[in-house]
Amino acid sequence: MRTEHNYKHWFWGIAIPLLLTLIDWPFRDILTASNILMFYLLGVFFVAIRFGFWPSILASLTNAAAFAYFFAPPIFSLAIAEPENLAGLAVTMLVGGVTSKLAENVRHQARVAEQGERRASALYRLSKELAEARLETEMIEIGVRHLHAEFGGRNTFLFPDRNGLVHYPDEPPLDISLRGADLQVARWVFDHGQMAGNGTDNFSDKAATYMPLNGSTGTIGVLVLEAIHLRHIFLPEQRQLLDTFVNQTIHTLERASLAEQAKEATLKMQAETLRNSLLSSISHDLRTPLATIIGAASTLETDDHLNEDTKRKLAGAINEEAQRMSELTTKILEMARLEAGEVVLNRQWYSPEEIVGSALRRLDKKLKTRQLNVNMADGLALIHVDAVLLQQVLVNLLDNAAKYSPAGRPIDIAVDTTPFGLSITVADNGPGVPEALQQKVFDKFFRIHPESAQSGVGLGLSICRAIVEAHGGNIQVTNRSGGGTVFQLHLPFLECPPTIAPEENELMP
Amino acid sequence: MKTPCPLLLLIEDDPRFRLLLTTTLENQDYRVLALETGKEGLLAARNRQPDLLILDLGLPDIDGQEVIRRLRKWSELPLIVLSARNRETDITQALDNGADDYLTKPFSNAELMSRLKALLRRVAKLPGGVQEVFQVGELKIELTKRRVFVSEQEVHLTPIEFRLLSELVRSAGFVVTHRQLLEKVWGASYVEHSHYLRIYMGQLRHKIESDPTRPRYLLTEAGIGYRLFEEENV
Repeated sequence: MRTEHNYKHWFWGIAIPLLLTLIDWPFRDILTASNILMFYLLGVFFVAIRFGFWPSILASLTNAAAFAYFFAPPIFSLAIAEPENLAGLAVTMLVGGVTSKLAENVRHQARVAEQGERRASALYRLSKELAEARLETEMIEIGVRHLHAEFGGRNTFLFPDRNGLVHYPDEPPLDISLRGADLQVARWVFDHGQMAGNGTDNFSDKAATYMPLNGSTGTIGVLVLEAIHLRHIFLPEQRQLLDTFVNQTIHTLERASLAEQAKEATLKMQAETLRNSLLSSISHDLRTPLATIIGAASTLETDDHLNEDTKRKLAGAINEEAQRMSELTTKILEMARLEAGEVVLNRQWYSPEEIVGSALRRLDKKLKTRQLNVNMADGLALIHVDAVLLQQVLVNLLDNAAKYSPAGRPIDIAVDTTPFGLSITVADNGPGVPEALQQKVFDKFFRIHPESAQSGVGLGLSICRAIVEAHGGNIQVTNRSGGGTVFQLHLPFLECPPTIAPEENELMP
Repeated sequence: MKTPCPLLLLIEDDPRFRLLLTTTLENQDYRVLALETGKEGLLAARNRQPDLLILDLGLPDIDGQEVIRRLRKWSELPLIVLSARNRETDITQALDNGADDYLTKPFSNAELMSRLKALLRRVAKLPGGVQEVFQVGELKIELTKRRVFVSEQEVHLTPIEFRLLSELVRSAGFVVTHRQLLEKVWGASYVEHSHYLRIYMGQLRHKIESDPTRPRYLLTEAGIGYRLFEEENV
């Protein structure tokens, strides 16, 4: 294709001078020789700008011949009689040559600039997409797609598995992914950090080219590229561009994996801190009921002289304390699970009404004598949440409200939508939370009155916060103007609720 | 006429808990056959013809879920599973596999007894199939006539609402999982479309319950399914 292109250039190198000759011919008596030479020079410029240096030299030569033959006396002979014409022709050819060279340079620079711009914009598109990617698989996919778009041919990224052996990816390949890369070669490249395959000295019989992916800590994987034409990847500028592309992808991948590691480290540290505070704080809360249980049980076992009433009281104490321990361990385990990041939300579409309803039912006994004002907004949409966990949040809040407000005072529950999500409010008519402590109540093991008999272990609200935050929401505590605590939690809508097909016919009575 | 005490088969690997349950149940006039492993349990279920099986999900030899699956291949034996708390997925799976009811540890004696009685009662009723009229509190459902009354007032339900309600009536007192309801009411291809169930359950509650936020009849078992309340008519 390229050579055909060249023929055309050469053709114009001859055709334009001949055309000019044809135009000039009728005016040969009016125009002076220098005028004609000027026209020819114009033609040379044109050829130089449009078709490059060598065609313009050809045009110069054709000019010279045409001028000598048709215009410089004696005409119809290549001889030139007048020295003036000879000098004019020589100067014209010189000027033509120099300007051709200059034009060629301009052309070349324009081409370089254009290519540079194209590469820069390709690189920009790659960086932009990479910056938006979250998952490693996404990043690799972006890398594969952009390499394909820029360099043609198929390619694939191979990374080592846990054992350090380069493997095929687990994800299904894209349409444009290269399949059937030679793992043996890939492993060699990974181990030696050198290129191999087509166009290199190693394994050069392979169809694809294998390149090591060099990260900051050494080779992290292998790029396998089956270029349509080797020139596309081995020309110096192309090679440089390829390296930049690959480096960009690798750096993004590395950054992501470092961020992941940092996150894991933080989680580990948090779990560690939790464990420590658990140990110090729990011992008291667990040992007190245990002391009662062990004491009462051993008395029942060894003392034969107990009357029925005492026995029943002791058994009752065991039951009560065991219940307390059960509640406590459940909370501790729940918190530990949430803190360790082990809990995966089982999000499904639920109606807010149902979640509130099931929380109220779980507290049926405790709330039996309470006045409850439940205020549900009309037409609430389904929300995408883990219902078991969210129910736990409401149970903890309602349990607190029942525990810390006087028995005769009502508890108010309100559910409403905001522009961004769902808001659930649980308000009591108790003493409220002192403003200075409003942030602390959500901390683990924090209790406003640590020695009070009513207090639990100080985990209920921490669990609430952990669950709400896992849902991407937030929870706040404020005081009511008339006295009382208000807990408000806000859950963002992350997805549009699904709709269902309406039912066709109503059941007739 | 004197009926023999029901024979309960208990499969539980923890010896102390096994002893506790055995003693408790025997005190309530049940005959108890307590075994430690799933294999022994399955064998006994075949040879001893128990009336009911109480199965702990965490067993040393075969997984409790597997016990349920194998048992359900040839037996309709009433089955209550015991599970540690906070394991809704285990419970749901057990119910989907064919367990009739569940209890989460720790549970009280009273809870165990009421579940046992309810399940045995249901089995005793079964030969005649589901009763034609189901009544609980103010709610009355006539299954073949497809009519529903709340406080003597007829309530009009859509066909799907009625199918949903009658599925719950068929298992009144027992939890029916989301999956089971979706499959039976909408069909097997709908088992992942839980929002259908939520929307229709909401509609049903608004028609039947006097206060849908504190339902009396259509109870939610969070993360597992729904249970239609059934009074204990002892």
